[in-house]
Amino acid sequence: MVSKTEEGIVIVVTSGKGGVGKTTTVANVGASLAKLDYKVVVLDLDIGLKKLDLILGLENRIIYDLVQVIEGECTLRQALVKDKRFPELYMLPAAQTRNKNEVTPDQIKHLCNQLKPQFDFIFVDCPAGIEHGFKNAIAAADKAIVITNPEVSAVRDADRIIGILESAEFTDTKLVINRLQSELVNRGDMLSIEDLLDHLCIELLGVVPEDRNVLISTNKGEPIILNEHSNAGKAFRNIAQRLTGQKVDFLKFDDQSFWSKLKNLGRNLFNNN
Amino acid sequence: MLNFLKRIFSKENMSSRKQANDRLRLVLTHDRLGASTQLMDTLKEEIIQVIAKHVEIEGTPEVTFINEGRRSALDINIPLKGR
Repeated sequence: MVSKTEEGIVIVVTSGKGGVGKTTTVANVGASLAKLDYKVVVLDLDIGLKKLDLILGLENRIIYDLVQVIEGECTLRQALVKDKRFPELYMLPAAQTRNKNEVTPDQIKHLCNQLKPQFDFIFVDCPAGIEHGFKNAIAAADKAIVITNPEVSAVRDADRIIGILESAEFTDTKLVINRLQSELVNRGDMLSIEDLLDHLCIELLGVVPEDRNVLISTNKGEPIILNEHSNAGKAFRNIAQRLTGQKVDFLKFDDQSFWSKLKNLGRNLFNNN
Repeated sequence: MLNFLKRIFSKENMSSRKQANDRLRLVLTHDRLGASTQLMDTLKEEIIQVIAKHVEIEGTPEVTFINEGRRSALDINIPLKGR
């Protein structure tokens, strides 16, 4: 067990657009850190549209939720669901039958302040959008991770989110590119890592390749990081290691076929004149 | 033969990736400034008009947006006629 000398850090995972992989990232990066013996808690702030419990496979273990903690119906300890597959991974579920407006940013701050002395990493799964739920999610955060897909509408929303985070004085926002398909990039049919960094101008934290194993593991309620053969799982484990301060090389996506290599060579030869 | 090869390989210029990049560049500039494409065009036009009201312009005046990191700037290049 890593000794807990200082207060934990609150990291919000956000994207603007829905469906780009916020919850999957929170679940897998959180689980990876727990596997590395850090004390981790993941908070689902998507009140009314909860998903984190389902992605982690903990949906049958919930007794209380975040809104009940805030309203004093139960203690924080009672509401935390322990994931038994990991040494120290806990989840605080969202309420499903309530509304995002029933919680205030100050209440989230108070909640996170209670968690900070007990955990190393506190991950906040942010709802899509830039309204009240988003403001709640960033209220207590020390750092932000922005998730995007190599797709124009996701990039546009990510840019908006980065702008809002800048105005809210977040200085250490990092980018995760999810669902990259290198064969499409090489064919000239998908935005590349460089393209995205060029548009968004923030530091890269990780690149997760498209991987059908993610859907399969989600069906089973098992984090993909437990699958040793999955590239996406490996990418999430690398992200977790980078968050601990380790330098980990980015995965190589050079799976070009002979023909696409020849084609690229030809393009370079003929397009430069 | 060379033309044939050029035709095969020069498809890159039309690639959907390039189109995505071009469209994003434009839309992000406008999003960050909180202004529409139309407003930007009006702005460019009026800047040139104001200059022309006071001094004589020679050649083609250019007002373009440049991006550096997440910041945008107006690049105003208006050649003036000397006496």
